[in-house]
Amino acid sequence: MHISMRREVSRSHSGRFGIGLLALITAMALFAPLLAGYDPLVQSTAAFQPPSAGHLLGTNHVGQDIWSQLVYGARTSLLVGFTVASIATLLSAIIGAASALIGGLFDRITMRIVDAFIVIPILIIMVLLAAYLKPSLWVLIVMLSLLSWQGGARTVRAQSLSLKERMHVSAARCFGAGRWYLIRRHILPDLSPILVVGFIHSLRRAVFLEAGLAFIGIADPGTVSWGMMMKKALDFSYMDAWTWWLIPAGVALSLTIVAITFIGHAMEPAMDPRLRKEVEGEAIA
Amino acid sequence: MLKLVDLRVSYGRDQILNGIDLEVKDGESLAVIGESGAGKTTLGLSLMRLAEGDIRGQVYLDGEELLSLPESSMRDIRGRRMSMAFQNANNALNPVHDVLGQVMEPLLAHGIVDKPQARERAEDSLTRCGLDPDKFSAYPHQLSGGEQQRVLIAMALVSEPELIILDEPVSSLDAASRAGIIELLQGIRGSSTMIIVTHDISSAAHLADRVASLYAGRIMELGATTDVLSSPKHPYTRALLRSYPNMTTVKDLQGIKGRLVRPVPGCPFHPRCTQAIAVCAQEIPELRACEGRAVACHRGGVVTLLETRNISKAFGQTRAVDSVSLDIVGGETLALVGQSGSGKTTLARAIVGLLEADSGELYFEGQRVDSRDKEFYKQVQMVSQNPGESLSHRLTVRELVMEPLDIQGIGNGEERQQKVVRVLEEVELPTGEAFLDTYPHHLSGGEMQRVAIARALVLDPKLLIADEPTAFLDSSVQAKILRLLLTLQEQRGLSMLFITHDIAMARKVSDRIAVMLDGRIVEQGPANRVVTEPRHPYTQQLIGTASHLHLWGDGDRLHHTHTQQE
Amino acid sequence: MRSIRTICSRSASRFGLLGRVLGAQNITTYIIALAIILTLNFLLPRLMPGDPLMAIYGDEALVQMSPQLQANLVERFALDQSLWQQFGAYLKGLFTGDLGYSYYYNAPVFDVILGRLPWTLLLVGLSLVLSTFVGVFLGIESGWRRGSRLDRSMLAGMMSLNGFPDFFIGTVLLLVFGVTLGLLPLSGAMTPYSGLSGGALLLDVLKHLVLPLTALTLAHVAAAYLLTRNTMITVLKEPFMLTARAKGLSPRVLKYRHAGRNSMLPVLTMTGVWVGVMITGTLFIEIIFSYPGLGYLMYEALLFRDHVVIQGVLLLVATAVLAVNLLVDLAYTRVDPRVGYAH
Repeated sequence: MHISMRREVSRSHSGRFGIGLLALITAMALFAPLLAGYDPLVQSTAAFQPPSAGHLLGTNHVGQDIWSQLVYGARTSLLVGFTVASIATLLSAIIGAASALIGGLFDRITMRIVDAFIVIPILIIMVLLAAYLKPSLWVLIVMLSLLSWQGGARTVRAQSLSLKERMHVSAARCFGAGRWYLIRRHILPDLSPILVVGFIHSLRRAVFLEAGLAFIGIADPGTVSWGMMMKKALDFSYMDAWTWWLIPAGVALSLTIVAITFIGHAMEPAMDPRLRKEVEGEAIA
Repeated sequence: MLKLVDLRVSYGRDQILNGIDLEVKDGESLAVIGESGAGKTTLGLSLMRLAEGDIRGQVYLDGEELLSLPESSMRDIRGRRMSMAFQNANNALNPVHDVLGQVMEPLLAHGIVDKPQARERAEDSLTRCGLDPDKFSAYPHQLSGGEQQRVLIAMALVSEPELIILDEPVSSLDAASRAGIIELLQGIRGSSTMIIVTHDISSAAHLADRVASLYAGRIMELGATTDVLSSPKHPYTRALLRSYPNMTTVKDLQGIKGRLVRPVPGCPFHPRCTQAIAVCAQEIPELRACEGRAVACHRGGVVTLLETRNISKAFGQTRAVDSVSLDIVGGETLALVGQSGSGKTTLARAIVGLLEADSGELYFEGQRVDSRDKEFYKQVQMVSQNPGESLSHRLTVRELVMEPLDIQGIGNGEERQQKVVRVLEEVELPTGEAFLDTYPHHLSGGEMQRVAIARALVLDPKLLIADEPTAFLDSSVQAKILRLLLTLQEQRGLSMLFITHDIAMARKVSDRIAVMLDGRIVEQGPANRVVTEPRHPYTQQLIGTASHLHLWGDGDRLHHTHTQQE
Repeated sequence: MRSIRTICSRSASRFGLLGRVLGAQNITTYIIALAIILTLNFLLPRLMPGDPLMAIYGDEALVQMSPQLQANLVERFALDQSLWQQFGAYLKGLFTGDLGYSYYYNAPVFDVILGRLPWTLLLVGLSLVLSTFVGVFLGIESGWRRGSRLDRSMLAGMMSLNGFPDFFIGTVLLLVFGVTLGLLPLSGAMTPYSGLSGGALLLDVLKHLVLPLTALTLAHVAAAYLLTRNTMITVLKEPFMLTARAKGLSPRVLKYRHAGRNSMLPVLTMTGVWVGVMITGTLFIEIIFSYPGLGYLMYEALLFRDHVVIQGVLLLVATAVLAVNLLVDLAYTRVDPRVGYAH
């Protein structure tokens, strides 16, 4: 059955909306140096300044420009998000497919370990690790990646198992195709929809966790994070500054996650054709 | 008690049902047969107003019009006065509720009885449908396919509805369950009015009083089951029966040319019909009464092509042909079987005009034939036994096949050339210049006979008289020629009078068989009946001495009585 | 008893890809998960360079401890002996409920945790129940009316809500209702030193509970809604729904007894996973509202580098999550007859 992920997403309203929004935020991240007026980490004496021409979103408790922090925060979130998602997806693809194709004891052991990790909440482990390791940005990324690939691995394995038995694979084997040819030509292409969906899910979770961890205080102090902005703003909630300090950061984070969610939603009918819309009227999906 | 008036159902731009008129009497059972895309399921669903899409027309249940009722009234009727049992293709029963509860549901939902009585009635219904009482509290996935179907039927019967609609009741079942369900349904016949929607003709045959064949949303034929299924009048019904594998039909399976396309102006079947005429593409034929049944065909069903009445021919004292009356309808093969000297060839030659009959008349398409003119030969052609003799060794293939066109003066040189190429393709011969310039004596027996057939076809005749066409050929070649003839019948609607001494061969290619002995027809009838239950001793003898390869068991290996034949 | 593995792999095929992902949970899996956490908990501090006591307890704590106490701890947990003996001592400590001693709270870790546990239970429990019920109900209604304006707007609303992280929602609620409007208290589970009792006490607790509960519920209702709606959409297309309609049943019966009952199953399956997600959320919410539960405890311990407490909370939380998952698996077998014991 033919699934064209690109077509599904680009055709649906929610998909287009999600992609557009995400592209906007990515642009903001990429062009951060151009968009920001100041170095986000430079402190000044002008603290708690309300928004003005010089400071679009005012300043925080140590005089840092909030707008600059916002655009650089996008960099952190997206960097962590995309990197973790890429590594996690890659790992899930390799381990999942290997598990399915090698089978036997390797498969059973791997899957037990995978299942064990799925059940445990990632954040809790991250808190424990962070208490001892005091992570920098890259250590954070690596740790998150190592805890994020398990869910995808299960799905990849399931799909690989089913693909292994599909008729077109059997037919290719009857022509004498070797294992690598099968993987390259018959299994991998059919896996890509799953991998794309897995990527989106990992992305969403990674962005959320990066901000959440920063919110608790587990982050690289040299980087700017929306989560950290929110926490600091919360600490000073009695000052009016939260309206231009906390809200923009929170909204930016939420919009990013919403965009990713909408893209994910657009992909659902591609994965489960039973969800395809029949009636013309569904504008969202 | 059920009356459908001009029922039309469309979904988006597709017209699924295109004007259905039907009446079903109390206690009657009607089967609606057809293939996928015909609209059978939609028909069943529309009666219950469960079909998606736009429903128009009128549906009367005991005089009450259903389509104009508000949904709440319709809900009241569903499950109480009218019920439907669906095909058990996975998940027709709710997997999270036990079976007894689901059967009780219609009774409770309509407030027919209270809970304890509902339980009793549900158990009763399930028992009548043959479900083991141990399984009453089971969940659907714990039951076999046959058992689930019984539950579905019990569920439809429990409220004692006036009308029960069954959608493919046995199609997804294995053989044993199938037999059980058919028996169950036969038991219900008469006490409920049943409508059965199915593509499985044999269950329709067992369960229905009347049958309607549905094609592209219109009823093509409607009549008593035995009549319609043993001698279908509509080209579609006939083609459907010819394609249906079953243990009784002896003729090889044939398909229908083309494919279902809609929408189509005029008769929905006309693009695939081999006897379509101009008006078929313009007007939709209505269901008209015709010999005890209704047929929707501008030509009144399958047309009678050739009719001989009391033809006789004698040579001196011997009566070669003695008062023979036969008829052949369009698109069918009548096999004329008899030993040499029975008069078969004489009859053929008399029909074709090579001999003058002493008495009797010949009718073609209802018109009496007095002289064989060019028009006649455009409709009736003959292929003889020995192609080596009937093809002049002086003419090339091209010239041979073009000869009829030259004689009749049809078209110009270019057009004739094209017709020759086309007809050679039809008989699966090469069409290159090299082949066209070959002389027949350089060809194999099979190729020569194909040239002879091509020659006969180039005038687009309606009837082909094939006189022992494979007598001079090896059997593997013979098989291909017979296959070709059947294909030509499927594609062109070619009728055939197939003359042979070999009844084993005749049964593979004929719809009807006529047995000839000493100039007289001693038996004729549908091929499968003649071959399995021959009435005349000569027929029995023919069958007994025909080729058998029954090489297992301990029976006599050379001779078999007809009762042992499969 | 039929193996849980076959049970779940059957439910797996019923619910497609999702089911296959969650399909084969097994008691062994939970045991392995527990083992992983125990090992992590045990190994991490001991793998750090330097004095194991310092690594386990954190340097701040060590400063506060008398040499007497330090020697006592070294002995109790065999910190000067081999890794295996330490592991033995560690396990022994676990079984006797000895999770160590918190310097900051000046009490055994076990007691500290026990004091905070009820509030978290209250918050998470209520939130889980509320978000699931509301989510399922709205999901059923939405799925039934798929494509209608009500459905489309609810879907858009829920998907957007799904995008807002729980800590943002919590923060906004706090700022709007607590700080700006001053309607509801800003922190704590009860008004301290109020001396209230009975109905007044209940009201006070509820007043403090409203905002955190709302935040947590809002953040998670979308998940139940979306899953239920999706399942509803596929269930409505199943043949048995047509059979049910043919019986002339009312829309309410069709929605709930027939479609709804089937749509709930994936929600049940996911509850185990959602508990884990909700624990994460509670951590944030408790921080924001200074709600004295385990999450806030964890945060404080992180702040004051009281490592033993972190370890203790982690262990308890992880065990709880695993236990809930196990319970859910067992409950599922009773609820989905295709997967149960009956035969």
